Amino acid sequence: MLSPKTPETKPVKLSVKDVAFSYGEKKILDALTLDIHAERVTAIIGPSGCGKSTFLKCFNRIHEVTTAVKVSGDMLIDGVDIYKGGIDEIDLRRRVGMVFQKPNPFPKSIYENVAFGPRLFGVNDKVTLDVLVEDALRKAALWDEVKDRLKESASGMSGGQQQRLCIARALAVGPEVLLMDEPCSALDPIATSKIEELIMELKESLTIVIVTHNMQQAARVSDYTAFFWLGRLVEMDLTERIFTTPRERMTEDYITGRFG
Amino acid sequence: MRAIATLRSPSRAKHVDKFMRGVLWVIALGFILVLAVFVGAILHQGWPVLRLDFLTRMPETLEAGGGIKPQIFNSIYLVLLSLGLSLPIGLGAGVYMAEYAGKGRTLNFFRLCIETLAATPSIVLALFGMIVFVQTLGWSFSIRSGALTLALLNIPVITRVTEVSLMSVPRELKEASYGLGATKLQTILKVALPYAATGILTGLVLTAGRAFGESAILVFTAGTNTSAIFPDFRLTVPGETLSVHLWYVTSDGTLPDAREIAAGTAAVMILVLLILNLSVRFLDRAIRRRTR
Amino acid sequence: MNDSPESSLVAPALLLELPAADRLAPAPPEFRQSRFHRLADRWSHLVFLACSLLVVALIGGILFFLAARGLAAFLPLTGNTGRTLSFAEVFLSTDWAPSSDHFGILPFLGGSLAVTGLALLLAAPTGILTGVFIAKLAPSWMRSLMRQVMDLLVGIPSVVYGIFGLTIILPLVSHSFLKDAPASGFAISAMILSVMIVPTIVSLATDAFEGLPLSLDEGSQALGSSRWQAIWHVLIPAARPRLLTACVLGLGRAIGEAMAVQMVIGNNPQWIALMREFTDRAPFLRALFTPAATLTTELVQELPNTPTGSPWNNVLFAMGLLLYLLTMVLILATRRFGRNEVA
Repeated sequence: MLSPKTPETKPVKLSVKDVAFSYGEKKILDALTLDIHAERVTAIIGPSGCGKSTFLKCFNRIHEVTTAVKVSGDMLIDGVDIYKGGIDEIDLRRRVGMVFQKPNPFPKSIYENVAFGPRLFGVNDKVTLDVLVEDALRKAALWDEVKDRLKESASGMSGGQQQRLCIARALAVGPEVLLMDEPCSALDPIATSKIEELIMELKESLTIVIVTHNMQQAARVSDYTAFFWLGRLVEMDLTERIFTTPRERMTEDYITGRFG
Repeated sequence: MRAIATLRSPSRAKHVDKFMRGVLWVIALGFILVLAVFVGAILHQGWPVLRLDFLTRMPETLEAGGGIKPQIFNSIYLVLLSLGLSLPIGLGAGVYMAEYAGKGRTLNFFRLCIETLAATPSIVLALFGMIVFVQTLGWSFSIRSGALTLALLNIPVITRVTEVSLMSVPRELKEASYGLGATKLQTILKVALPYAATGILTGLVLTAGRAFGESAILVFTAGTNTSAIFPDFRLTVPGETLSVHLWYVTSDGTLPDAREIAAGTAAVMILVLLILNLSVRFLDRAIRRRTR
Repeated sequence: MNDSPESSLVAPALLLELPAADRLAPAPPEFRQSRFHRLADRWSHLVFLACSLLVVALIGGILFFLAARGLAAFLPLTGNTGRTLSFAEVFLSTDWAPSSDHFGILPFLGGSLAVTGLALLLAAPTGILTGVFIAKLAPSWMRSLMRQVMDLLVGIPSVVYGIFGLTIILPLVSHSFLKDAPASGFAISAMILSVMIVPTIVSLATDAFEGLPLSLDEGSQALGSSRWQAIWHVLIPAARPRLLTACVLGLGRAIGEAMAVQMVIGNNPQWIALMREFTDRAPFLRALFTPAATLTTELVQELPNTPTGSPWNNVLFAMGLLLYLLTMVLILATRRFGRNEVA
């Protein structure tokens, strides 16, 4: 984990400048500015309803297909504004993978779940697919558990396995960023710790943003932590500093449980 | 509140309550009885006629002893043709309404049109088919006139069932697909429609049952004659179906054994209906098992 | 609250920040969405839209062709073989005798309304009560049994209803009420029709009662009213708009039904005179079994026998047009009930 003494060596992957979201007339998030570094885990914490999930969904523009959220301001990936021309939301969503609160495998076999993404891009060759599927399942630490039952339905797996399958599914299309929206909220402690271990491994090659309402989880897995409250960013800093010496009184209150 | 005003005599209220519950049970059991008598009577009447050669012989025009072989073929052929014509259109319209139309006036207007078409009496559709296909296009009473007009009956049902089934696709599944870089079309084709398929299939079976039993439309578009050749796949020949045959033999009255033929045909139709209903029940159970 | 970039991020990010760019590095070739899929995605909605527009076009097309043929009776067109009729002598006259040039369709309209009204009188109360029963009172096995019964009743083809009426009910009525005189007419048609439309009413009524907030039910029972009082004084009034819709859709089904009614009603356009005769000779019961005719039965009966372009044929199409317009009015009416419900 990144400590205050070692300087940051990774470039900025995602950058948010003065961004506001609104749902109809209602403002969800306002005046948001922050940077997210490549190959680091950034945790977003805050009470429910503070706009964390919406914020996450705006990074791959998935809110555009399911909700009516409006975005203003600049959101950049590798310095490119994801809402301006020249970017293609289809490719953006591939680059910026997403893992949802509830495991949502497709009602297909384990193999087909992982192969779904590559197939979208026209990969139909059995050998290539096999390689991609095995690779993704290995990265998601699931290969050993499922290699003998790839043809079985994903709905027969445990919740934790399903969530790791969803991670494998996202990894199979070669993402650069992984957005995780409270990925452990539906899981038991053992499954949760497996996912957390996985996050630590994945950050070697990926930028990870994780929304969580579990403070211990944020402290365990993240390098940076951002605290959102009522649609505003209260404070963002190295996780170690947020949890030891936060600058804002409100952050301290929230972390120590004197809240709500 | 009015409910309190009637409470003056609690014991009387109790009696009324008991009595009305009884009435409701009687009405409900009455419907079950009606159905049982109905199906029982039709099968009872038709049973003596239901021999294999009744199903496999050509019909007679003036003498007794005719079969219903070509009518069975025409019924199946017309149902399949009309489903083939209406399925793509119904699916397309259903997809549009569920996924593209948004939530405003457009959707409302399309819904109004679908409801109107669904409520249009089949005799009106028959007139339309007769004017357009039989007369204007000069196709006369033929399989193609019948299949096209019958498709009009199916379209609203398939549209509605497609829309409803697509609405029931969980949002999380669509998000997962979009999140992997799928286009909207890919999401609809690869995630939403496969998920909705069982529901749509159920609707299709019900539609097939309806088309199978339809008679008014076919009397005026497919005609009351059959081809002398069997099986005749040509689209230009008249194609009397079982339901039309049932009506025609009873109303025409030239056949000495019209009663028996009608009874046998009705029994065959009831049996087909029962089989279709059982398969729907089976599909429904499959859906419920998956959602659990 | 503090959200300025300087204070929110301590790491020396600026040094490592990439210069702003216009486009991202291209995706690896195996993960590139093909041109075909992009084009398909961009244009496919037009295909779906076309399907929907086809339905709209059908609604308009049916209206156009029926009007073209139905209104021909009232216009001096070249295709017509007889004289041009006036609206009044068709829509306001009870005199139907095509062979002597009289084309009043009121007997059929009256027949349709009478049969439909009678059928609704039977089906609406029983259908609504069955809906309450299924939604609120029935044990779950009974609930699913009733659903299956209704599914079967709605699936039985109308000619099979017709043959049942013809071969079972007619002889029965004739034997038990009419001293073996041939039976047909309104009452039997209405009975059969009511069974045919009851599933529609039951299923919509069940939905209506199941859609009511539970608090309504609980609230009135908490006040000490019995189950029945809650149903009668609270649930049925609350569900009224949707129950009305159910009845109107049932009515629509009944008015458009052709084959089953045609097989049992007796097909007598002169039923008004005949009924007068019956009622003069007293037995009310006999009048109920007067052979009669409706818009749909007359169409089924006579359309194959009339030459195209004759006033008779044109008037038959005008009757079809009338049926279609009635359907539209009924559907628009259900929309109105829906709006009242929201208000």
